[in-house]
Amino acid sequence: MSEVPSHSHPLRRRAAGGTLFLLVVAALAMVALPVWLIRPFAPQTPAGLATAYALRRGAILGTLLLLAAGLGITIALWRGSRWWSRTALVVGLLVLGAATWGARWIQTMFEGMFVPLAKTASAPADQARWVEEGDTVLAVDLNGDAAAYPVRQVAYHHIANDVVGSVPVAVTY
Amino acid sequence: MWRAEIDGRRLRFHLTGINNQNFLMRDEQTGSWWQQVTGEAVFGPLKGRRLELVFHDEIPFGLWRREHPHGRVLRPQEGVPWREFSKDWEADTAKLPVVTPARAGDPLPPRELIVGVHLQGAAKAYPLAALQRQSPVADSVGGIPIALVVGEDGRSVRAFERRLDGRELDLFAKPGPPPLRLLDAETGSEWSFAGEAVSGPLAGKKLPRVYTLKDYWFDWQAYHPGTAVYTLGAR
Repeated sequence: MSEVPSHSHPLRRRAAGGTLFLLVVAALAMVALPVWLIRPFAPQTPAGLATAYALRRGAILGTLLLLAAGLGITIALWRGSRWWSRTALVVGLLVLGAATWGARWIQTMFEGMFVPLAKTASAPADQARWVEEGDTVLAVDLNGDAAAYPVRQVAYHHIANDVVGSVPVAVTY
Repeated sequence: MWRAEIDGRRLRFHLTGINNQNFLMRDEQTGSWWQQVTGEAVFGPLKGRRLELVFHDEIPFGLWRREHPHGRVLRPQEGVPWREFSKDWEADTAKLPVVTPARAGDPLPPRELIVGVHLQGAAKAYPLAALQRQSPVADSVGGIPIALVVGEDGRSVRAFERRLDGRELDLFAKPGPPPLRLLDAETGSEWSFAGEAVSGPLAGKKLPRVYTLKDYWFDWQAYHPGTAVYTLGAR
């Protein structure tokens, strides 16, 4: 194929611009759909969950590929574009860049909504002044190691990863 | 409470999502998603695997400390408002909406607190309110004779297999001041809330514990679709 300045192909340029727009839409969907599908206080379906899982797992690489493709289109169209087209190209790239960041953010989104327990430490029963007699605890006794997890603390963090009597446990509420 | 281990490999869990108001956990090691209430991996490399249940109690701190004076308690994390957040969490949670549709002829309201028993493939839900009125409740699930006992605090529930050396026991509450004592009709032995015979011919014997899960009805029935429901007075 001979070297032809791209501005001489208005149809092809329009197609490239349209493709960039679709890339932006796809990147936004990759980030927004999993968030929408597993939002709290909404019913979830098995198919919706499967989609959320697949999109979220694939979003980090997927949005990077879309950003790379968008960058290629921008470079190809840059020469011969007027200022408004260039503005549109830059905005498209910025959105694609934001989506790659968003793809990382949604991986731990729920941990941002609730505070994960950074580390599990314990105190002897007679020193636990922060627990009252009537407070419910989740209690476990493994290989002579008796541990209690006040429900109010576990309900706040939702998960405590600990080792009791050399058995790794996940305390959940 | 789950044993955080698969094939000898330790897993660390993080909160990762929600499925009809029961949360999903992600393990750091494989990225699989796990359903909190069933301990089953629903997506990812470990899909289909199940975590092993760790036997645990849900009881008041005071009772636990009397039973385990040398135990240890989870320290609160510094600088986070867990106390404010969870001040009225139980009442607040009970008011939250339920998103899964109620089924026609559902025997209980969605947010009814139940105690679930799953034995030999059979599931049964005991409304906490019914247990509180009738404790101890004698029943049979999956062919295993069990007794459900409400503690002195009126909220904690323990279940036992009411069978010892092949003999079924009928347990009754012994009237009187705390601590809670049960009597068996067969020998007249006295039993504690820990399931131990503290006096009488069977003194020193222990009843095997049966795992129970305190849950909301809507959540329990979602994961135990064929569950039976205990109704007051019925055996």
